[in-house]
Amino acid sequence: MNIEVFKAFRQFATDQGLLFHYHGTLSQPIIAAMGEALRARLEIEDASAKATRKVFSTFVEMLQNIVHYASGDPADAARTEPFGNVTVGRLGERYYIVSGNAVAEAHVARLRGKLDAIRAMSEEEIKAEYRRKLRTDERDENSKGAGLGFLTLARDASEPIEYCFEPMPGALAGMSFFYLKATI
Amino acid sequence: MQDIYIAAERDKPEVDFRFSQHRLALRGESFPENALAFYGPLVSSLMGYLGATRNQDITVDIALRYFNSSSTKILLNIFRMLDQASSNDNVVHLNWYHDPDDDTVMEFGNDIAQDFITLRYTAIAEPLAA
Repeated sequence: MNIEVFKAFRQFATDQGLLFHYHGTLSQPIIAAMGEALRARLEIEDASAKATRKVFSTFVEMLQNIVHYASGDPADAARTEPFGNVTVGRLGERYYIVSGNAVAEAHVARLRGKLDAIRAMSEEEIKAEYRRKLRTDERDENSKGAGLGFLTLARDASEPIEYCFEPMPGALAGMSFFYLKATI
Repeated sequence: MQDIYIAAERDKPEVDFRFSQHRLALRGESFPENALAFYGPLVSSLMGYLGATRNQDITVDIALRYFNSSSTKILLNIFRMLDQASSNDNVVHLNWYHDPDDDTVMEFGNDIAQDFITLRYTAIAEPLAA
């Protein structure tokens, strides 16, 4: 990156209220270390304890989700460990957390179904569904966690969670890039 | 039954299961990569302890500042086991610590109290250590 590009990047980060950004391999130790850095960053920002908890929870759920499901680095096929991007920022009074990672096309329909269902729920319905799912043993066989990740994001969010899938070109055909956004 | 002590890590709680004193505690944060792998052996020990314990007062302190979704599911199973321990004439006292303004953890505690009616539930609002 030359300095001119960095200047533009920096300006963009300023305009978007960036607090934290990561682009790279993800693992549990990296998530735990970043979570600590994020909390420290939010503290400097004078974020309320409540907002800090919700941003932290959303950050951890999103990144653990990537570690469970993601494919490797879309730019380097030799790197197969989970790879993803995450950005946390603040615009006005709202915090946003956006993540991105490559997923196999085979997962897309299932993820869309889950996300659309949650997007259509009211706050009360989200709470009720969260409670219900927590208390039943129904498990999605593709789900390595408790199957509560997206509901947890929705519970902490102040707006419906947003997402988008983009099919990847060329050698990465068969993969989609998955973008996910939560607003606190 | 051997007591269990595991020091806290950044993503794992302190585990202080003093079966010999009928006093069990989890403190800190809980978002391990694999919650089942972390809690599985603890749940087994707890099951063994509860199966062999009769007519006791058992005190359980839960002071978790943060727990992720997969830990939540396991915690619920632990409370279910504790609730069932009443059938052996045990009385389980659950002290549920939460930050004063943490509605999420407070509400989860209230749900536990409602779901598992034999637990002698006490919510304690105080700032939890990082």
